[in-house]
Amino acid sequence: MKWITARRRHPLAGYVVVILALALFGVGYAALAPTADQAQAQTLAAEAPSADDVDIAQGKTIFDQTCASCHGLDGSGSDLNGPDLREVGSAAIDFQVSTGRMPSMDPNNQMPRKPMVMTEEELANLIAYYDAQIRTDGAGADVPYEVPDIAPQRADFDDEESYEEALAEYEDEYDAYIEGADDVDMGMKLYLTNCAHCHSWSGGGGALTDGRWAPEIHDSTPREIYEAMVSGPGAMPMFSDGAISPEEKQELISYVKTLQAEPNAGGIFDLQRVGQVAEGFISWTVGLSLIIACAIWITAKQRAHD
Amino acid sequence: MSKTTQAPKALRGVGNFIDDRFHLAKTGEKNLRKVFPNHWSFMLGEIALYSFIILLVTGVFLTLWFKPSMVEVVYDGSYERLQGVPMSEAFASTLYIDFDVRGGFLVRQIHHWAALIFLASLVVHMLRNFFTGAFRKPRELNWIIGVLIFALAIVEGLFGYSLPDDLPSGMGVRILQGVMLSIPLVGSYISMFLFGGEFPGEDIITRLYMLHVLLIPAILLALIVAHVFIVWIQKHTQYPGQGRSEKAVVGTPMFPGFAVKAGGFFFFTFAVIAGLSAFVQINPIHLFGPFTPTSITSGLQPDWYMGFLEGSLRLFPNTLDFQIFGYPILTSVLVPGLGAMGLLFGALGAWPFIEQWITGDKAAKNMADRPRNAPVRTALGVAGITVYGVLWLAGSNDVLSETFSISLYLTTYIFRVLVFVGPVVAFIVTKRICLGLQRRDRETLEHGYESGTVQQLPSGEFIEVHKESSEDTVAVLESKPVITSTALEEDATDEKGVENPAARKPMGKFRRALAHWYTKDNVSFDGVQAHTGHHLHHSADHGDDKAH
Repeated sequence: MKWITARRRHPLAGYVVVILALALFGVGYAALAPTADQAQAQTLAAEAPSADDVDIAQGKTIFDQTCASCHGLDGSGSDLNGPDLREVGSAAIDFQVSTGRMPSMDPNNQMPRKPMVMTEEELANLIAYYDAQIRTDGAGADVPYEVPDIAPQRADFDDEESYEEALAEYEDEYDAYIEGADDVDMGMKLYLTNCAHCHSWSGGGGALTDGRWAPEIHDSTPREIYEAMVSGPGAMPMFSDGAISPEEKQELISYVKTLQAEPNAGGIFDLQRVGQVAEGFISWTVGLSLIIACAIWITAKQRAHD
Repeated sequence: MSKTTQAPKALRGVGNFIDDRFHLAKTGEKNLRKVFPNHWSFMLGEIALYSFIILLVTGVFLTLWFKPSMVEVVYDGSYERLQGVPMSEAFASTLYIDFDVRGGFLVRQIHHWAALIFLASLVVHMLRNFFTGAFRKPRELNWIIGVLIFALAIVEGLFGYSLPDDLPSGMGVRILQGVMLSIPLVGSYISMFLFGGEFPGEDIITRLYMLHVLLIPAILLALIVAHVFIVWIQKHTQYPGQGRSEKAVVGTPMFPGFAVKAGGFFFFTFAVIAGLSAFVQINPIHLFGPFTPTSITSGLQPDWYMGFLEGSLRLFPNTLDFQIFGYPILTSVLVPGLGAMGLLFGALGAWPFIEQWITGDKAAKNMADRPRNAPVRTALGVAGITVYGVLWLAGSNDVLSETFSISLYLTTYIFRVLVFVGPVVAFIVTKRICLGLQRRDRETLEHGYESGTVQQLPSGEFIEVHKESSEDTVAVLESKPVITSTALEEDATDEKGVENPAARKPMGKFRRALAHWYTKDNVSFDGVQAHTGHHLHHSADHGDDKAH
């Protein structure tokens, strides 16, 4: 205690106390804050699951337990803010569930992207049940199984060899889809005309009216982007295959995924590609501050007072 | 070093040769010995000067390859992702600088970072001059030159930002055109004249290029030379201290001390800018892609120095638009777009004269004010910074909304309130802080500084021992000027009972009111003697102290 007493009037004592307090709060928060469940999305077969692979009965159980409380047992919706599902199509179901937005914890608010709460197999069963029992005459868009989804996960495979095989197969498929589009100009124009004014040029997302926002689409798989376009989730308009053809969608998706994978030629810090706001912030907080610190340093020598 | 050293014969020969013809020795001696005050805040203008030099040098480099042309070409350069994309020659040549010119990418980033630092250093330099009252007579004209440099630098930056013809630069030019169109009567003519037809036309890049590399830099350079030259003649202001007065400047001589410092400071400035450019990506036009009139994106802003205009455009409501004989007057663009800029630079340029009018003080001021000793001016400055800051933040309200998960509309409403409430609160708080600091200064002057030693007197009383401040500190504290105004000294009636005509007119009354407001709250140092307070504190002065 004597050690502290001797130094408590030191000019730096105040700063030390503040730093210690901040460190305490930071470490305390990190220790106590709830960690999100690390539910990992699993692999999905590239082709549509055949009737033999799916278990419609289990799909019904999932629907009745996780969806029906808002959307109704027959999917016709309810006054709990659950819309009618009968004509949305299976692409919408796949999009909402695979991006973790459904089941929603708060139907009155826009849902952020989260890890999926069920396995790929359960989702396939759910979609099979939806297609068989709830969907009205095949209304809405189907899941675009030909568009690549997420990469296979190591946890789903028993041995390294089969995992790497599946991964190589997936990567071939992914590259074929992205490189199958060769008209950058078309993809760019489509993206910048239809998507960028909400999701921004980089796919980083942006603010919308009435407290909503356009989510960033860096984590979105080509299939999820495709499904979002054909189902128009939330405030997003629907871009059906009639308005933007599947080939054009491929160009568009290829443009935005290629842009996102593009290395930052200008330096290792890309400032999250936020652009001018971040650049202005850095020019003041790092650039000018360092230079002024230098000015203080080189003029400090001859000061008599202070 | 009592021994006089003589220059080597060769140097002497050259020196004598020149001196015999131009008689430079005397002026050279005088100017090389010119004294510069030693304080970091006097170096802020130099950051601006150095970053301007960096801008000139890197700008020349960029002009070697940049083609200011809007002719459409199909890109066929090294950057694979955009191969086959039609774009303007301006954009294609910028890609060429980035990917085919050795060091071109780095130099372009240095040019951009230096521009951001240039503007930022102009602002802090200007604030230093404002808060220390360095704009007062005899320096009003140099202050106005500085305001002009600031205004021109913003325009210069905007035009430079527009040159590569990439996505955000095209959007910036579009907003510029929108503001032009809002000018009543002549707006559409100005726009058609500048763009050579409808937006975007085929001329705008060429014209902006001429303005950006020739006209505006030439004017800027002339103004900066004049600015520095006037400082040279008028000398710096200096902070109060021992041995310093209105007549005598204390500091480091130009040569060698200050020249070494300034030279080193140039390299440090350059190092920071080059370091940023090497590691932090700025304005990645190759990722943005070329501008087409149908393209639009969220999340892009102008560079920071245009942010306050962007913000005022975003905040101003459109309910005040009206029509005259079917012609719309778009106040929602006109007022925030041009009005905000006019207000900022108008207020800055006029302030030295307004303050002089209020105080009636016509004396030359070579001593810098400590900001606390001019509380109303300081509070006004902080209020101004608050308005600017709120508008600046509002310019990025979509990024703020997304980053901090606040509703976009809510940010707009918050900023609309803050832009009026913020400066009032800032004014009151700042003024109180200034007065508090003045009180502490008086305390320090009277009592010395707290030593941290607690002593017990024989009577059992505990006191904290105060020690005498250094002579320099005393000189600083005693230099506090008394803020007065001639308007208050002029009596309303003279000894013959005739009313003072100046004080009777509305302007005179207004000036008296302003003068009262400007001078009323101030901690008087009257009769305060250095280090006499301890004695006073325990006796007669006690009652007087309470009266304050």
